Amino acid sequence: MLSTIVILYMCSCKTLNISRYYHTHQSVLDSIGQVYAQAYKQKPFSIEFTDRKFDRLSLELTTDTLTYIYEFWVGEDRMKDTLRKYGFDTHAVDNLITNMRSVDCTWINNLDYYTEERKHSLTYVTLWPRAFNFPFVKKKYYILTYFQQSQYFDSEGNLLMGRRLRRIRKINAEVFRRINDKVCYTLSDRFR
Amino acid sequence: MPRAFSTLPLLLLICFSSTRSLASTGEPGRSTQQEALAYLQTIHLPDSSIHWPNARGHLFMENLRANVQHPLSMYQGSNTNFCGYAALSYLPLNYDPLQYVKFMLTLYEEGQATWNKIKFTPSPEVMLAAGTLRFKGILDIHPADQMWFLVLADHFRSYLNLFHRKFHMGSEDTFWAACNLGKFNRMIRQLMGYKLKAIGSDLIRPGIADVYAYLQNAIQTGTTYLYVNNTYLHVKNHDKSRFSFPTHYLVLTEIQKIGDIFQIIYWDYGGRTLRQVTPQFLKKIIFGVTCCLKDTHEE
Repeated sequence: MLSTIVILYMCSCKTLNISRYYHTHQSVLDSIGQVYAQAYKQKPFSIEFTDRKFDRLSLELTTDTLTYIYEFWVGEDRMKDTLRKYGFDTHAVDNLITNMRSVDCTWINNLDYYTEERKHSLTYVTLWPRAFNFPFVKKKYYILTYFQQSQYFDSEGNLLMGRRLRRIRKINAEVFRRINDKVCYTLSDRFR
Repeated sequence: MPRAFSTLPLLLLICFSSTRSLASTGEPGRSTQQEALAYLQTIHLPDSSIHWPNARGHLFMENLRANVQHPLSMYQGSNTNFCGYAALSYLPLNYDPLQYVKFMLTLYEEGQATWNKIKFTPSPEVMLAAGTLRFKGILDIHPADQMWFLVLADHFRSYLNLFHRKFHMGSEDTFWAACNLGKFNRMIRQLMGYKLKAIGSDLIRPGIADVYAYLQNAIQTGTTYLYVNNTYLHVKNHDKSRFSFPTHYLVLTEIQKIGDIFQIIYWDYGGRTLRQVTPQFLKKIIFGVTCCLKDTHEE
């Protein structure tokens, strides 16, 4: 009986209080969002950790003609050489990688979205906290979005398209909820 | 519709323009980028159409112009099943942009159009939906692309679409828009008039003994599409168990052998990507290879 309860508990979809997680790690998370947004403006790129130990990563480096996808081990010299070759800020990327590992952030990217024909950008940060990795349970990711401007929400805290457009906005097919005026979250089974 | 046909200065410009398109790099281009842009200059569309009430004329024209000027930037939209239609667009945008813009403008103005003797008469649901798709990235403000994808999906049907006959809002993300290998090849053959050399299927991987030599040869022969399992190529979660069937089309433009690995360059999602993969990985993801034969397309 006890073993059944333990198994059921292990297989249950235990959820993390993402709002609390955000406030606990706010300084690091906000710094990640800020450093990334600035570095992305110089040269577009994204970072993905491909393993559970956060030791292996995939870099997508975007240039005018091509997007280069390379895989590296964390701290590998080859990575710095590659970043230098394509003119990326190695210090900013190193800093991001260290901070991402410290808060179990598995993916960071820039997403464009459109409101009334105008283009806007947001930073898309996916967290995969190690504490919540049960066998046989579908992976869940906690996603934070950093907007450049304050957003509009309905009374339940769902992200809206705009002040006049009261329709719920979806990002990457997910509905997002308010953490503060510029930061939202959602729970998803995809990290991007 | 009032159209100005004072294209002489533009035609002169075409003759002396040095803009390079893929059509000039070996593939038999049927029209040029400059011809298409010149044609677009002569068109003055109203900002609304009775056939496409939600497709704004100025955005439609901007979209066509952008597609002609930057044929590699056509984007299928995030989370849609339009990748087959976006991949197909690689051919007309690079090798026959004039025919493409003429088709799109006729479709906008008359609500129906013909391409290579195939008459497209879109359903009312699709006509209403074009211009309204949202949360798809830049596709949100590309009504011409929305129209193009919807019209193709509405016209060409296959067994994957059996249970999704009619378009409803959100159908672009469902099996309504899905495109299997047979349908994809049929679209290229019928619409673009190319003869194809194709291998593979929707469920079983083709047995290619030397994948490098095969793909290298295919690229040299003509535009080469790969039908791949995207859950490995474009990973979206860390689950170890993944679907073992193909879901995505891409255009393979280069393959190189570097030691034990292959360096591939492919086009999808509105841009070209360079990536290094192992031969095992490449074999694992490929379910189909379609090669458009250069010199044998039927006029």
